[in-house]
Amino acid sequence: MFNRRNLIRLIITAVFALLSLGFVPEGWKHLRVVLPALSPLLSLGGVVATLTVSAVTLLGLPLLLMPLFKGRFFCWHLCPMGFLAESVGRLNRWNKGGANKVPFVGKALALLVIGSAAAGYPVLIWTDPLSVFNGFFAVWREPLTWLSAATASGFVLILLISLLVPNIWCHRLCPLGGLQEMLMRLTKCRKTRQADEPETALEKTRVARRVLLGMAVGGLSGIVYGGFKKRRAAARPSPTAKTPKGGGRRRRRRGTREVSVPYIRPPGAALSIFNALCARCGNCMAACPYGLILPDLGSSGIDGLFTPILMFRSRNGEQEGFCFQECTACTKVCPTGAISSLTREEKQQMAIGVAHVCKGKCLAWNKAEYCMVCQEFCPYHAIDEVERDGVMCPEVDSSKCRGCGACESQCPALPIAILVSGREPQLRLAAPSPYLTQK
Amino acid sequence: MKSIKRRSFLKGTAAVTTLPAVGLTVKAEDKPSATVIVVHGKDIAKMVDAGIAMLGGWGAFVKPGMKVAIKPNVAWNSKPEQGGNTNPELVRAFVLAAQSQGAARIDLPENTCHDEKSTFPTSGVEAALKGTKARLYRPGKKDYQAVEIPKGQIVKRAHVPKDILACDCLINMPVAKHHGGATLSLSMKNWLGSVSNADRRSWHRDGLHQCIADINTFIKPKLVVIDATRILLTKGPQGPGDLAHPDEIIFSTDTVAADAYAATLFKKEPFDVPHIKIAHDMGIGCGDLKKIRVERIEV
Repeated sequence: MFNRRNLIRLIITAVFALLSLGFVPEGWKHLRVVLPALSPLLSLGGVVATLTVSAVTLLGLPLLLMPLFKGRFFCWHLCPMGFLAESVGRLNRWNKGGANKVPFVGKALALLVIGSAAAGYPVLIWTDPLSVFNGFFAVWREPLTWLSAATASGFVLILLISLLVPNIWCHRLCPLGGLQEMLMRLTKCRKTRQADEPETALEKTRVARRVLLGMAVGGLSGIVYGGFKKRRAAARPSPTAKTPKGGGRRRRRRGTREVSVPYIRPPGAALSIFNALCARCGNCMAACPYGLILPDLGSSGIDGLFTPILMFRSRNGEQEGFCFQECTACTKVCPTGAISSLTREEKQQMAIGVAHVCKGKCLAWNKAEYCMVCQEFCPYHAIDEVERDGVMCPEVDSSKCRGCGACESQCPALPIAILVSGREPQLRLAAPSPYLTQK
Repeated sequence: MKSIKRRSFLKGTAAVTTLPAVGLTVKAEDKPSATVIVVHGKDIAKMVDAGIAMLGGWGAFVKPGMKVAIKPNVAWNSKPEQGGNTNPELVRAFVLAAQSQGAARIDLPENTCHDEKSTFPTSGVEAALKGTKARLYRPGKKDYQAVEIPKGQIVKRAHVPKDILACDCLINMPVAKHHGGATLSLSMKNWLGSVSNADRRSWHRDGLHQCIADINTFIKPKLVVIDATRILLTKGPQGPGDLAHPDEIIFSTDTVAADAYAATLFKKEPFDVPHIKIAHDMGIGCGDLKKIRVERIEV
């Protein structure tokens, strides 16, 4: 156990853990994207589903090529999740070798991911071990709640499985391992632990058939899931009667009219396929300097479990904040392109939601109080002043509102009288942000 | 509170109760009850020197070894020329003067509205204080102290930064600007940038203008300096909005009088701003322009 190889693996794991925890110098915070982005599963899923290549997705290339020459070298020597799963498995003294009786689920998972990504809607991308590892270490922050720590659950689950059945994760379940195993077989490189005999023609066709079948099932599930999501989105009410101006980088699909949704995604989110593309790595949640991004527990559907949503006020009222106009932290750390990188200008033009005043709760409308805190805080001048009996009352101009949540986070009314709902898709507003005039 | 009203009323009318007689007493009391010094110019340091000289020099405010607290308005992520925050040069002029007077400490607690990590640099105040011993900071939970406001009508308790409570010389240094809720944000309103967020919030619920007046019965600065070098006429208090450039700095020891004068820069009658009217009626200061002596200095 305590040999040189494991010492190196321990060091690598520690370095990656520190990276995921955010121990990087100020100004280099976006480096946390590196670990999950190393996984070819995430980058392949992202690239195939969105048909865009970025510098981040290119990070997955080395691990895509490595198995062709070195087999599963990454799994046995470098992978931090693998090291931890294996180490936990060593604690198990009562059950050894149950793993080999299980079929190689990981291969099927990898094929599902890639096949469904090809259909435009990658499913199960969140099973990637590097994003699961990252998801565990990214959640440690103030204040730590059950909700904010939810993305850590995948990691705990893998360790539990590994404790019960040692090595089952790396050898049988891991989709990244499965992908590398399949890639390895493309070349004649044989560095597996199993004793290998030459492959027969029959076996070759069997492998090809399995790959085809996996991809087909993946593609089918992608089409079905994606279609389901689209139908549900089309059934939602529109917050404004306007047609959206300009789309994201994604190709347009049918039914892109703007709808109002109960959840607010980080700016730059590719909404139509967000639940699929999001790896649940926790990077955006950890990157947000205001702690606004939390895992969703179902408002975006069961397939949106643990995806990031913005909450401008925590339930106990202890924490409040809004998506600050000068900040682009969360857009710089997404490994799959579920959240695309935005510049300061792009972020300030991007409407992620729209605010609504509930006049029955509003201090100004309902009780004729001098308040206007929403207008005071609105960075985009989206709150109009309406005078009523000498008291100024707020009205939201949805053509300027970007859904940053400044109003919601500060509203003094009990209960809160101004609430932001998400816009789907996010869109660039025609009215320029007043902040774009300043440097 | 009722007793104060009665007292001030009695004082004002000198026990005369009939209506014509009240008119007479006002005439008899025509001598100003507050002084506002308005310095017009471009060179902030010289304007400050001129204004302070009129008030009796720095010695009247800061003595060696004193703890000085300044409450600028540095609430927003807004650049100096946009008028959302107090002019950094003005803050620096005061800090340097206090330092040369031998102040032991100079604290600038500011409960910013935007993240202080971007607000303090963007406002230019952080850079202006570089090399001085002044400490600009956002008070945390431990920096606050709960206090009773005995004369408050609505506000009975508030959380005020300890440095403001414990200082020997308190200077209120707001910027004059438009405000959706408070009509204008001047010196009295500036204390909302000092108290805790919970206080701020409940005051908006319970009658903002009365609460502004209430906190001013408790926090009594030695000097009020209103930055009117540039004023936000619209889209306040955050901006960016339409600006006017009166190029004035307003000095007074009477916070209500200073606000009353500053309101005229916005072409407003002081008593059209409810909290000035309330503060005047409560006897916190004089908001009646007829009773305020305005001394103008050109630098």
